[in-house]
Amino acid sequence: MGKFDIKLVKDKDRTTLQLVGVIDEDVDFNKFNLSGYPSLEIDLSLVKGINSCGIREWIKWIRTAGDAPITYVNCAKLIVDQINMVDGFLPATGKVRSFYVPYYSDKNGTEKSILFQYGTEFSENGLRPPDSVLDADGSPMEMDVIEAKYFKFISKK
Amino acid sequence: MDQRPDTIKIGREFLSARLKRGHNQTVNKSGISIRYKILFLLTSIPLLTLAIYLVLAVKIFEDDKIAYVFDSSSSMSGSIAAQMKTQLNSVLSITRPIFQDFLLEQKFTSVGDLIFKNEFNVESISAYTVSSLGDFKEVAVLEKEVGGTSKLTNAFKVLFDDYLKKANKDGRLVAVPFQDDRVFLFEKVSDEKTQRVTIFLVQIKMSELAETFNTVTSRKIYLINSDGTVLFGPEQVSGKKMQSFMKPSFLARSMDKIVQGVEGVRMADGTELLASFSRVGFGDLTVVSSVRKKSALSAVQILIRKSLIFFGILISVTVIVSLFASNGLTQALTDLFIATKKVSEGNFDIRVKVSSRDEVGSLANNFNIMALEVSRLLEQTAEKARMESELQTAKTVQETLFPETLAKIGGLAISGYYEPASECGGDWWHYCQVGSKMFLWIGDATGHGAPAALITSAAKSASTIIETLNVSPAKAMELLNRSIYDVSKGRIMMTFFLASFDFGTGELIYSNASHEAPLVLRKSDIPLTKNDLIPLNEVNNPRLGQSRDSVYQETQMTLGSGDLIFFYTDGVTDIQDPKKKSWGERAFIKALIAASKDNASAAETVAIFTASLQGHRGGATLIDDVTFFVVKNEGLG
Repeated sequence: MGKFDIKLVKDKDRTTLQLVGVIDEDVDFNKFNLSGYPSLEIDLSLVKGINSCGIREWIKWIRTAGDAPITYVNCAKLIVDQINMVDGFLPATGKVRSFYVPYYSDKNGTEKSILFQYGTEFSENGLRPPDSVLDADGSPMEMDVIEAKYFKFISKK
Repeated sequence: MDQRPDTIKIGREFLSARLKRGHNQTVNKSGISIRYKILFLLTSIPLLTLAIYLVLAVKIFEDDKIAYVFDSSSSMSGSIAAQMKTQLNSVLSITRPIFQDFLLEQKFTSVGDLIFKNEFNVESISAYTVSSLGDFKEVAVLEKEVGGTSKLTNAFKVLFDDYLKKANKDGRLVAVPFQDDRVFLFEKVSDEKTQRVTIFLVQIKMSELAETFNTVTSRKIYLINSDGTVLFGPEQVSGKKMQSFMKPSFLARSMDKIVQGVEGVRMADGTELLASFSRVGFGDLTVVSSVRKKSALSAVQILIRKSLIFFGILISVTVIVSLFASNGLTQALTDLFIATKKVSEGNFDIRVKVSSRDEVGSLANNFNIMALEVSRLLEQTAEKARMESELQTAKTVQETLFPETLAKIGGLAISGYYEPASECGGDWWHYCQVGSKMFLWIGDATGHGAPAALITSAAKSASTIIETLNVSPAKAMELLNRSIYDVSKGRIMMTFFLASFDFGTGELIYSNASHEAPLVLRKSDIPLTKNDLIPLNEVNNPRLGQSRDSVYQETQMTLGSGDLIFFYTDGVTDIQDPKKKSWGERAFIKALIAASKDNASAAETVAIFTASLQGHRGGATLIDDVTFFVVKNEGLG
């Protein structure tokens, strides 16, 4: 189909999977068994969409990692929504190291995604968002999410 | 129970009836069979070619034959004319000394008599003088039979005088007065010294020459003089004028200098003749040869006859060969014709035998493929119709799973909206009163369509039982989970949100199985912002059907008077416009806040929100089921 792909990047002490495309019922995760890896990092910045069947396949797939620590990085908004909504989307051994937060300027309608990093913009202790995010005109932008909903996963971990 | 055969049969009957209707509406114009067209073509072309060839050949042959007949006829008449001239000149050369002797002695002497008696063909020689009054007088005679000349001349006295006058005028005359082999040769001789004119009559017997003209063949030969009198010829016309039975144009041109010629002549009875003439060059004699054109061209008739027989045989052979050839060619087409007719009558199982590798064979093969494909499509159509019918039934059944979209129970006003992406949907919402509590249910099965709809049916069935148990939302969720798991065996899951509202206390207890967290909009006199929305996400557990032993938590909150809860599935935010652009969370929140402002009722909120949603959708096809409902505490809490 060509709409979904997984790129495996092995470093000295860590393995990173970069997921690209749409996760739906056509995705075959069996080709990428996660068992045997001591730890995993999954880059989710290029995931373009996910539906309910894709979530089902994702949860089955992510369980194959067993007890290996899993870190989600560069999570797009749609991934954060699933983490918040679907129990098990982020496994018990998993944590989010970075994720994007959409910002929006009511003044000129521009959008921007800011990457929140663990330890900088967020931690178990709570959220420390940037003091201000400005658009190209220097106008302040506001978070384009329901904060109580979007950042819920931080308080869970 | 498998109903496919019956369904296919019904589909076939339906299509067959349509085809028959079309068949009846089309006038079946039966024309000439293609077999006879091929036969006509294969025979008419050689027939036409041969006919043209025959006409041209006959024309050329006829012209050639006529030319040949003219040539041979002309040769014959010329030859006879030359022979006659030779004989007559020979007679003159023999008798001329006798004439000279007579002119010297004014009588026939013994010398003349001696010469005369040695010529067996000469019967007599008479000499006539001409008086100043133009009268003729016999003055001497040499004859083999004494008195024979006088007897003869007296027998045609009047005609004889005419002969003499004409001979006197023209100088020479040849006559055959008795239509036999006796020829009368009149020769005018003038004495240069005395200026005396003497006309000699030489009576000659020319039996052989006469026989030449009297032979019985298809060709007729005539010896005529200048006035057309036939001197020699077939017995029945000797002595007659040639003009009485045929009128060749050269008779009118007797004085011209043409000595030989040919022409076509038509007889009085219409018979066409090919005639030739040759001037003898002795007196005014002309030899005429004629032959019936029909006889002359009898070879042409034979040619035509034999050609026609040959053509007949050829055409017969062509017809027989064409019959076999056209039969082989048209049999396959006939088979195809019969097969297509049966197809038009609704018989799609018909097949034709492919017996050749040519275009007709390919046509037959393609017909079989087409018939097979039609049968397959027919079965598919029937199957599709069956499935559509079943889906329609399922849709009708599923519609009974949903509650009234508008209700007010106690102080709780409820208004909802549901639209599946296809005939059946995987979304389900429900509300029911159990004692002093109102239970509010919303779920979204994995995917959509019939499989997801079956799970919603299971959820509804389970909820009906659970309602009677008077259990908390968390416990209800656990029971529901087992029910869903047992039905789907983990293949289909369902996100679910279940809440119970206590009419007496206003307490809302809820449990969530990974469903979109409903949003609470508190009553407010000032416009709400997105951060005023309270997601009911304090607890969250696995989706229903994921694991049979999943445990669900519950939490509680208080719903004040005027507060509103918006329950929804993810199909709402995912709805796309015709350009495939999703509505998105920002627009969704704006629409929700706008719909609920000014303390709008549940029904008003749903109506305004639906309008916003449909405004974005713009008539586009849904990609997922869309379900939402609004619950508003209107006073008892």
